[in-house]
Amino acid sequence: MKVRTTLKACVLALALTTAPYSSIHAATPADQMIIGMSMNNLLSLDPAAATGLDVATIGANLYDMLVELDAKDPSKLVPALAESWKISDDGRTITFVIRKGTKFQSGNPLTAEDVAWSLQRVLKLNMALATTWKSYGFTAQNAEKFLRAPDAQTFVMELPEPTDPKLVLYTLGASPSAFILDRKKVMENDKNGDLGNAWLTTHAAGSGPFKLDDWRAKDSLLMSRFDGYWRGAPKLRRIIMRHMTESQSMRLMIERGDIDLAVGMSVSDIQALKGNKDVAIESVKRGTIYYVAVSMKDPKFADKRVRQAIRSLIDYEGINKTIMPHYGILHQRPVQSGLSATLSNPGHKLDVPSAKKLLAEAGHPNGFKTTIRVLSDPPFMNIATNLQSTLAQAGIEASVISGTGNQIYGAMRDRSFEIIVGRGGGGAEPHPHSSLRALAYNPDNRDEAKLTNFQGWRTSFFSPELNQVIEKAEVEKDPIKQITLYQDAQKIYDQQVGAIMPISQMIETEVKRKDVRNLISHPSATTRFREVYKQR
Amino acid sequence: MAVSALRLPPGGLQRLGRRLGTVALTLLGLLALTFFIGRVMPLDPVLAVVGPDADQSTYDQVFKRMGLDQPMYVQFSYYLNDLLHGDLGNALLTGLPVVGDIKRVFPATMELATMAIILGTCIGIPLGVFAATRRGKMGDHVVRVISLFGYSTPVFWFGMMGLLVFYAWLGWAGGAGRVDLAYDGLITPVTGFLLIDSAMLGEWEVFASAFKHLFLPACILGLHSTAYISRMTRAFMLAQLSQEYILTARVKGLSERTVIWRHAFRNILVQLLTIVALTYGNLLEGAVLIETVFAWPGFGQYLTSSLLLGDMNAVMGCVLLIGLIFVFLNLLADALYQVFDPRTR
Repeated sequence: MKVRTTLKACVLALALTTAPYSSIHAATPADQMIIGMSMNNLLSLDPAAATGLDVATIGANLYDMLVELDAKDPSKLVPALAESWKISDDGRTITFVIRKGTKFQSGNPLTAEDVAWSLQRVLKLNMALATTWKSYGFTAQNAEKFLRAPDAQTFVMELPEPTDPKLVLYTLGASPSAFILDRKKVMENDKNGDLGNAWLTTHAAGSGPFKLDDWRAKDSLLMSRFDGYWRGAPKLRRIIMRHMTESQSMRLMIERGDIDLAVGMSVSDIQALKGNKDVAIESVKRGTIYYVAVSMKDPKFADKRVRQAIRSLIDYEGINKTIMPHYGILHQRPVQSGLSATLSNPGHKLDVPSAKKLLAEAGHPNGFKTTIRVLSDPPFMNIATNLQSTLAQAGIEASVISGTGNQIYGAMRDRSFEIIVGRGGGGAEPHPHSSLRALAYNPDNRDEAKLTNFQGWRTSFFSPELNQVIEKAEVEKDPIKQITLYQDAQKIYDQQVGAIMPISQMIETEVKRKDVRNLISHPSATTRFREVYKQR
Repeated sequence: MAVSALRLPPGGLQRLGRRLGTVALTLLGLLALTFFIGRVMPLDPVLAVVGPDADQSTYDQVFKRMGLDQPMYVQFSYYLNDLLHGDLGNALLTGLPVVGDIKRVFPATMELATMAIILGTCIGIPLGVFAATRRGKMGDHVVRVISLFGYSTPVFWFGMMGLLVFYAWLGWAGGAGRVDLAYDGLITPVTGFLLIDSAMLGEWEVFASAFKHLFLPACILGLHSTAYISRMTRAFMLAQLSQEYILTARVKGLSERTVIWRHAFRNILVQLLTIVALTYGNLLEGAVLIETVFAWPGFGQYLTSSLLLGDMNAVMGCVLLIGLIFVFLNLLADALYQVFDPRTR
């Protein structure tokens, strides 16, 4: 009896999984867009405290920025709240002319004071997104001096340290920390001098095309059209984001037309939707890079030959062909692809005999034991397993330790790891410095320096020569010379076998209903819905 | 009968005091254990807040703001002090009051669990009794196989298959979430139970949508409970049906229905109450998997994600609530014992 029931269940399961899914199609309202996505990492809507990509997308629709990066060509700056801007001859001052007549959703006029205050606030609060601004030399103490509004229509940003002003402009167009807040509204909700931080966790005070109606953590987020938007009211009346973590549920819902956009679906579900004529699958390239990193604090990996051996034991082709579709594309440079300074891939390949030879030269003819730390999510775990097997071919016995993001990157920040399979490298700004600063630059290698935001420091990779080239390139005014310097930096990194070995550049794949038009996923995650509509 | 059974006997106040003391100590122990385990877990809530790329000064500032620079016993004493003032604190990661979060997510789970336990009890008990009275016959085998299937098949699989058949194919059930997305946010929560709130406001379309969404996950959880309850009912009934008093009743010429329901079943009520109460407690604790499959914004999902991010204030609030639920259900079961079993009075 039990056997018969089990057989019946198996037949039913087979029938269900192989049969075409849906014959009944529901439809979301024509003037609303419904998005299924995981909101697990959405902890605060305060632009100063935002972490992760989701909040950048949400904020980009609630707030405006001074400038925007073109979604199709992110290296192109587009005016937004700033009608125009001018960079001084010495490259140390950027003066913005603020658009007249713009109003916040509260009805308050938007002025240069709001702009200056919003940016000063990020530094004063010193939360997650202050880090980038601090790397340009801004501090809580100097913020008011260097970020100022001489009149209601002029905002002046003085750069405390020499840097490429274009890089700063990119940050203004890409980082959620550059969203402009309604100063009066926020300060009405200030609590014990927190500059409205607690209130802004669940509220918004912007001038963007959508108003925040409701946010229930790990449940849903509702936005509705702001009719007084300065560019004109958006076409959609409402945006609903629903917390969904189960990829197959999302697949069923997008097939039936109960959601319009599914973000974060598993590769198997995306593949299964390839033949569906009602949905479109679109990928967008992010600046972030998947990598294998070793800790040079470990004497084994401090030896260049061992790092070279590890680099030869990564099956770049296999990983990118079998694991990375919809996650990433082959990339082996510490600078994101697509920039004019990015060199073509150096062509590293899986080469076990060379790796064995290098290991023998380094005194490890029989390999050694080590650990690979990795996030327990795909594709990280799959990459780690692949790496484990190729390392074993050269006698390196690696055990895999999986964990959550904060366990894995926590160990990296503490410099207490051997090998990590991870993802990172800035890249929000389409500028080589953004990637190199995050992945390769390390101005002070001492433990007590605690430069935890630099992955170069985390891996103890310290190259004064490389640091010097990166610093020189950052302030080089001649664009041609600057490109050459950044290319030199990549060559040096490759020759010195940096501790972070890039394997793939991140792409994010989204599935949307075909009737959704004008939805262009932004490489820096500031995807805007103001032009989106449904063609029915 | 019920009122006299619940009246406190002599010395009852002392016993009640002792009982409450035990409950308080149990909850304190539970909190202390959770707190200290939470602090030694290799999870860093600061990193969840500041992100992996923050510099050290930001990290240190948030570390201090969260009070993590204090010794563990000091942190725990602060927590207890706040708790005594009715404050469960704010979730470390979102800064939102834990009480508010729990008020929001718990009714969603309670609505689901209540529907499931009603289904589980209404189907499971008669099935168990039916199987016991047909021991070794076809009916018994069918019920046993259904129970085995229901109990051993992962609820996650049932959820996916249920969605596929009843939502994607047939369109009978609502999909993920508590209500159709078009109705999302239309009802201002009063009780937090969407069925009740929408009925109170006369929003019958929302009510129908909420019911459509609730029915499938509740049935799946109900099936799981049915399987367990029917198996236990069968076992309890079999134990009773082999007793001599049952034989006596039959010899006396009582109808089989009276023998089963008035005599045997009455005697298993106390045990069944415990089973049903504990099953309900487990359902309230959060059916994480079913909540995940159905994107149900409930207590199980809240607790799990808080745990994974190391948000111990939220976890402690949840653990306290779970402790209270089990204490309450135990007390309720004890009180009902007195109603149904005169020997316990």
